[in-house]
Amino acid sequence: MTLTNGDSRNGTQKNLGEVIVVTSGKGGVGKTTTTACLGAALALKGKRTLVVDADIGLRNLDVILGLENRIVFNLVDVAKNVCKPNQAIIRSKKSNNLYLLPASQTDEKDVINEEEIETALEHYRREFHFILVDSPAGIEQGFRNACAGAESALIVTTPEVPAIRDADRVIGLLAAKGLDPSLIINRLDVDMVRKGEMLSVEDVQDILGINLIGVVERDENVIVATNCGEPVVYNPRSRAGQAFMRIAGRLCGEQIPLPNYSDTGLWSRIAARLGVG
Amino acid sequence: MFDGLRRVIFGNKTSSKQLAKSRLHFVLVQDRTGLSAEELAKFKTEMVDVIERYFVIQKQAFDISYRRDGETTTLVINSPVIVRRQDAVHHEAGTRKFKKKKHELAKPPPPPSMPVASNT
Repeated sequence: MTLTNGDSRNGTQKNLGEVIVVTSGKGGVGKTTTTACLGAALALKGKRTLVVDADIGLRNLDVILGLENRIVFNLVDVAKNVCKPNQAIIRSKKSNNLYLLPASQTDEKDVINEEEIETALEHYRREFHFILVDSPAGIEQGFRNACAGAESALIVTTPEVPAIRDADRVIGLLAAKGLDPSLIINRLDVDMVRKGEMLSVEDVQDILGINLIGVVERDENVIVATNCGEPVVYNPRSRAGQAFMRIAGRLCGEQIPLPNYSDTGLWSRIAARLGVG
Repeated sequence: MFDGLRRVIFGNKTSSKQLAKSRLHFVLVQDRTGLSAEELAKFKTEMVDVIERYFVIQKQAFDISYRRDGETTTLVINSPVIVRRQDAVHHEAGTRKFKKKKHELAKPPPPPSMPVASNT
């Protein structure tokens, strides 16, 4: 995936922010959490980041970030020129580098089209290093809108049959749009993988066949963080938070190896040798 | 560690993950090719007929999968073959891979030209 090594805002170079759509096909696999956490992680690394909620009618990025009571204008208002672009973005409570462009809650997904979204995002590209667009579930107009203006894509899946099936479909659609997706495997449970009750990282990679940019383990801290409206990356003890920080690092071009999630204990190696593993 | 020890002592029955993999394999071939289960079954039968003109194969172990490697997609046909020799019958497993771009799937496959490894 192409990475923009953005300069600081006070630099003389004008870099255009990289627009990345975060999508999945399947609902409930963690797109919004991923968008919020990657946004927060990038901001912690000093990158000016805008997270855009493209889930019109079912907005949730505001809630994950704890900004639900600060919304005045939204993406649809910007697209329809009801307000100025800078009036609609909301600065995060925890970081000066992180901003949110919320979705409208009362409209439906076809209230705007791809062209309008692309034009709206254009206003922000010179202001931010990264623009992460949280896509709705599905493959209809909402998904198409979210992909408008994007240069690359992150596909979020869990290691489960329906999620992988939908992710596979979306990979095909993104390839047709010329977007080269990278994969995030969310909610991996290492114990279940060891017991043979969950597909492993290698299984999912093998099936989907795209570049893997990160794995996030199942972590109760994520739910607690959502309850509090603070992305889990601000909890240094959270394994999920650490994983999102690593993924953000990779987005910035850092070489961060993936932790080893496969079962390589002594008895498992013996079992594999004997052909019963 | 004890899971590995358990597997060494008791062996490994089919795990739910293996079931998940084979079911995904089944639905993804249909989803990716756009062929229904009936059409895929017909394709398999016709493939087996073609291969049987040249080889003796183990029909029950015959398998077709459709794998994505980055930008190319590959039709993978696994066809265990029984190679007859003069005095004895040797059972050999063979794998043929037909690499095709998606739009070429409509054309008939070329005859298999796989070198079969032999024990003698």
